[in-house]
Amino acid sequence: MGSHGKVGFKVVLAVAVALITAVGLAACGSTSTSTSNTSPGAKTAIKIGFFAPESGFAAADGASAYDAAKLAVNEINASGGAGGHQLQVINYDDASDPSQAVTTATRLVTQDHVTAVVSGSYSDQTLAAAPIFQRNNVPMLAAYAVSPGVPASGDFIFQQDFNGVVEGRAAAVALVQDLGVKKVAIVAIKNDFGSSLVQGFRQEAAALGAEVVAIDYNQFGEKDFTPILTRDKSKGATGFFMAEYYSEAQQFINNWNTLGFKYPLVGTEGIDSTTQFFQPVGKAADGLVFTTPFNRDSTEPVAQKFSASFTAAYGHVPDMVAATTYDSFLVLKNALLKGTSATQIRDAIAATTNFVGTTGTIIKYNGHGEVVKAIDLQVIKNGEPHHYGTVDNLQLITP
Amino acid sequence: MLLTSLINGVVIGSLYALIALGPSLVYGLLRVLDIANAAGLTLGAYVGVYVFSASHSVWLALLAGAAAASVFGWLLQRVLYRPILGRGPLVPLIASIGVFIAMEEVFRLVFGPYPHDFAATVGLPTVRVGGTVVTGVQLLIILFGAAVLVGTWFVLGHTSLGLAWRATSQERETAEAMGINTAYVIGAIFIVGYGLAAVSGVLLSINYNSVYPTMGDIPAYKMLAIIVLGGLGNPLGTIAAALLIGLVETFVVAYLGFVLPREAIAFIVLIIVLLVRPQGLFPGEASAA
Repeated sequence: MGSHGKVGFKVVLAVAVALITAVGLAACGSTSTSTSNTSPGAKTAIKIGFFAPESGFAAADGASAYDAAKLAVNEINASGGAGGHQLQVINYDDASDPSQAVTTATRLVTQDHVTAVVSGSYSDQTLAAAPIFQRNNVPMLAAYAVSPGVPASGDFIFQQDFNGVVEGRAAAVALVQDLGVKKVAIVAIKNDFGSSLVQGFRQEAAALGAEVVAIDYNQFGEKDFTPILTRDKSKGATGFFMAEYYSEAQQFINNWNTLGFKYPLVGTEGIDSTTQFFQPVGKAADGLVFTTPFNRDSTEPVAQKFSASFTAAYGHVPDMVAATTYDSFLVLKNALLKGTSATQIRDAIAATTNFVGTTGTIIKYNGHGEVVKAIDLQVIKNGEPHHYGTVDNLQLITP
Repeated sequence: MLLTSLINGVVIGSLYALIALGPSLVYGLLRVLDIANAAGLTLGAYVGVYVFSASHSVWLALLAGAAAASVFGWLLQRVLYRPILGRGPLVPLIASIGVFIAMEEVFRLVFGPYPHDFAATVGLPTVRVGGTVVTGVQLLIILFGAAVLVGTWFVLGHTSLGLAWRATSQERETAEAMGINTAYVIGAIFIVGYGLAAVSGVLLSINYNSVYPTMGDIPAYKMLAIIVLGGLGNPLGTIAAALLIGLVETFVVAYLGFVLPREAIAFIVLIIVLLVRPQGLFPGEASAA
């Protein structure tokens, strides 16, 4: 090649490298946005840390959770703040990645000096972040991360959503007791969410006299459940428990319908997403019963007002991650009335009783920061979730 | 269950064949593992889904996707690969990976991170075979897989392009000296290879009703296992390996459940075969390189 060709090539390569670097940087950026509302002469604003999977495979849930956080804080600030203090949300994207969640937690504690934190993220990420908040005495409320390991991280860590084991028990009540299934096949996502649900399900299914004929854990991104479903059917399953998130559940339902299965099917809050499950899947999932903290048909004023405001602000009805995130801020606001130091907030949350939120009534937090509240059962009718039943047996719902 | 697994395995294997054939041909020609081919898959899927929502024609979607990816592939080899071919095998490989990663981010930035639906009916009926259901799109995938198998055999063995490819993959300099326009051959192979990747992207998206920016990830690395397993430089071997992997994956999951991550199965098969037969199943001219 002549020297003229070499010079031309170097320029092309340099431009290509610059382009690729720019795109790569755009991809790795973390957003740090805050909504603040301070006016002169007011009490100091209180910084609340928030993290959610706003990019990556769980981006839809992250967006939903962050939307609810913004709504909650705007409403709280508009009505005078929490104990007179305006709230300021410091938001980070954990990219659906536990190691990113650790970075975020460290930043919130050491650089942003937040007073308290709400986790709008999954169990894996929340589990990674919780010890950092506990070590630094920063109270944290997990909106919808259900792994029992989260509140076990320490006395500053609270779980707003009933844990996976409790939810699994409720799913067993639905499938075995309500729907009369005696031979169950379980298909679950392979992570803390899936395993805690299966643990609780098996406990209660055994107590109710049902037999679990098969348990299969799949990886994220699994697209083909046909072999598993066929195998489970040949093992004599007469009902299925599907502990999956919305992406895998979509494929599951697709395969289920292609195979023409008509068995009773119970799912969990993993599918509770308006934009990523109910809208795309629609009537294809009619008849599916699932456990969730969010009752769409709730007659409580706070729930109805929340659904209306959220839909007006964001153009679609809220889902479970939005409702639990919103409630986390309500609980936090309530706690801030008793004081703004870390121990005051911690003690106030722990003392919360009979607190009515969008996701039902928090009966109390047990001694380990785990919430005690009833589980709602929803059924999909005409593509939309509606109230089906409630599991409120105190023994079952106490972790 | 045997029949279901057989059909499922052939469907998945056919998709793998469509994905892996392009890189196999490219490897034969240039001794470069073209990871960026999987970006052609995703590009084809996105173009396909948008053309489908405008026209409601699956065939137009396939054509448009293949055209877009072919242009992308031709540009890639012209602008990026050809100038750096003389610098050893690592430089084009790294460039290829870089392009793939960058394209994934471009897709995310342009089309958003959430999956798009691709709800299409392909005009072929859902049939019941024995106790098994085969959907229209699965039938279409099998038909394409068969067409690719027959087409590759015919083109490589019975056309002047095929002859030119075989000559160039054996000895590029000699082929050039003998008057073969290797630039033309390389361009044509990239056009075909990326077009096939796009077809697989569209069919994949219809089958799983989902188009998302990272859908090329798993095909990108699984395609490597398939090419090596089939025998480097042997496109027919690649197709055979693709079908084999599709069948093995399906049978393992059907009879053993999710004991292994599905993606690991291809590599475990590869390791086992290479232990016994290091040149791959059907070695071609390039396996000695």
